[in-house]
Amino acid sequence: MISFEYIADNIDKWLNNTFSPWLALTIEFVIVGVLCIGLFAVLGLVLIMMERKVSAYMQVRLGPNRVGPKGMFQTVADTLKLLVKEGLTPAGSDKFLFNLAPFVVMIAAMLVLAPIAFAKNFQIWDINIGVLYVSAVSSIGVIGILMAGWASNNKYSLLGAMRSGAQIVSYELSAGLSILVVVIFTGDLSISQIIESQQTGWWIFRGHIPMLIAFIIFIIAVTAETNRAPFDLAEAESELTAGFHTEYSGMKFALFFLAEYVNIFIVCAIGATLFLGGWMPLHIGNWEAFNSIMDWIPSSLWFVGKTFFLIFVIMWFRWTFPRLRIDQLLNLEWKYLLPISMFNLLLATLIAIQGWYF
Amino acid sequence: MFITQYIKEVFTGVKSLLIGMRRTGYYFTHHKEIITQQYPNEIPVMAERFKGEVIMLHDQNNEHACTGCTACELACPNATIKIVTKFDITPEGKKKKAIDKFVYHLELCTLCNLCIEACPTGAIKMGQNFEHSVFNRAELTKVLNKPGSKVRDDVE
Amino acid sequence: MSAYEIIFYLLAAFILGNGILAMTTTKIFRAAIFLLFTLIGVAGLYFWMQIEFVAAVQIIVYVGGIVVLIIFSIFLTQQSGLEMPKATLQRKIFSGIAAICGAGLTGLLISQYGFTNNPDAVLDDSVQNIGTQMLDYEDVGFALPFEVISILLLAAMIGAIVIAMKSKVEES
Repeated sequence: MISFEYIADNIDKWLNNTFSPWLALTIEFVIVGVLCIGLFAVLGLVLIMMERKVSAYMQVRLGPNRVGPKGMFQTVADTLKLLVKEGLTPAGSDKFLFNLAPFVVMIAAMLVLAPIAFAKNFQIWDINIGVLYVSAVSSIGVIGILMAGWASNNKYSLLGAMRSGAQIVSYELSAGLSILVVVIFTGDLSISQIIESQQTGWWIFRGHIPMLIAFIIFIIAVTAETNRAPFDLAEAESELTAGFHTEYSGMKFALFFLAEYVNIFIVCAIGATLFLGGWMPLHIGNWEAFNSIMDWIPSSLWFVGKTFFLIFVIMWFRWTFPRLRIDQLLNLEWKYLLPISMFNLLLATLIAIQGWYF
Repeated sequence: MFITQYIKEVFTGVKSLLIGMRRTGYYFTHHKEIITQQYPNEIPVMAERFKGEVIMLHDQNNEHACTGCTACELACPNATIKIVTKFDITPEGKKKKAIDKFVYHLELCTLCNLCIEACPTGAIKMGQNFEHSVFNRAELTKVLNKPGSKVRDDVE
Repeated sequence: MSAYEIIFYLLAAFILGNGILAMTTTKIFRAAIFLLFTLIGVAGLYFWMQIEFVAAVQIIVYVGGIVVLIIFSIFLTQQSGLEMPKATLQRKIFSGIAAICGAGLTGLLISQYGFTNNPDAVLDDSVQNIGTQMLDYEDVGFALPFEVISILLLAAMIGAIVIAMKSKVEES
């Protein structure tokens, strides 16, 4: 059966037989890099299209419907437009940091891609501290935003960057605590082990109450961490023009925009991995017949399906809820999410020790 | 009690969010009821009160009701209307003042409706056309009376 | 020279270069960013040594925490966008002496330690092992330092809250 694992293994074997090990490894690096960049490009096109269509349907509109069948090539046209636009650098800006910032944001998003398992045994780097790595590296992205806000030499950008910094630093806490709940149940940090532990059912079903609370808190926290509405104070069109990327144009703006959508994909992939079993098909306990039917669906489809379901949920949030004020945002984190997730952590520890889960 | 108050707050908050999500979810799944009009494909019907541009009414005999009194020109706050008058010779041999050209500068017009209110004979009104884009700005300067038209006899 | 060594020297050059830039730049925000790159380079060095846990903690604590705090304090400082004046000769001399003393002391300690190459010693850097040792009060445990640091952090947090808290007496 053709699967990603099979293809990757065969390419690896062929390269190692044809070239020397070092050359084979270098070629594999190049292939992985090209695939990552390709994935980013495709994700940018697909997710922006999806966002525009979802928003249109939720607002009883049609959305883009001119370029190509049902407007499917609208984002391609938009990307071409951004590619040929002039990348302006404002005169009063710190030019070095201004031009560096979009790349920092992009590289941070790219690094987080490493430990994500896209299909069964199809993973760039099965690092033994998987989720810790993800939460560590994703915090580099905020530096890019702060850099962009400062280097633009614009008060809107600076305000947007400061809001973004405060928001990401505080919501990282509850995101981390809800990830810890899964780690408590699994007893391991590596992504592949976490997926393996969901062989008999996804954690959101097996871990019942604490897992459900952790899942809800995780979704809220990552929505805030990716600077999306209702937590888009960093951009806040109606107050700050465009926040930290007010001064950016052309391809540099496109990089910020792309990084935002790639970050959504990544956090949703992490959420799907931790709570919904990643590529693991829907298994229910010892129902062998049911499980084997579910195994017929390829693991990559399970992963993509779950991830896009979570992306849809986050888009659903965006087009339903109004934006929070900065004090409401911080109240939500420090007065509600953080205490709840701390108690939830204790509850999860109790349940995990007593073995009161399925 | 503080704790029960807190828990109640959390639950009412989550509930109200879910109500909102149910509404947008309903819209998402019932996208047949599109409320927007697909503009170039279907020409929208504008409301009666919509003010697109000033037009002059002509009847089937190519006659209008404008006497050239320049009340509209005086009423206009930004000199949009310029009336060029001439003297017609009536069959009785008397000279009669009539309009030669009713020049209307659409590019200056703010569509404030003051000229229509000022007109004593109801010769002009607001039209519903909204597609005003042209390639040359000069095309926005319009002559509203049709060529060869004359004032209706019963209008004084 | 193997690729392993080449990567080490690249990382070392990255760390040192950014460190020098952080010292010599006259713009304070740029200095913070170069400091950040230095810290990321150190994390890269930990990754190179394959002790991923320490690397991740380095990124979380320094990049996600300390540098963000430094940047915030720069944002909140008045006139932090201006270029700083060049250091005076006196300052340069004294800081040079301090740097040489520090480097000398570190070098002395390293040369006296005499690293023994012991291939039998296996470093168990799994997170389970770190966690167990951290809360272990037996022979190899670090329960006491762990708890002492926890209390220190708790005291710092309570202190921060006390400073930030509005006193109700002043309001009325």
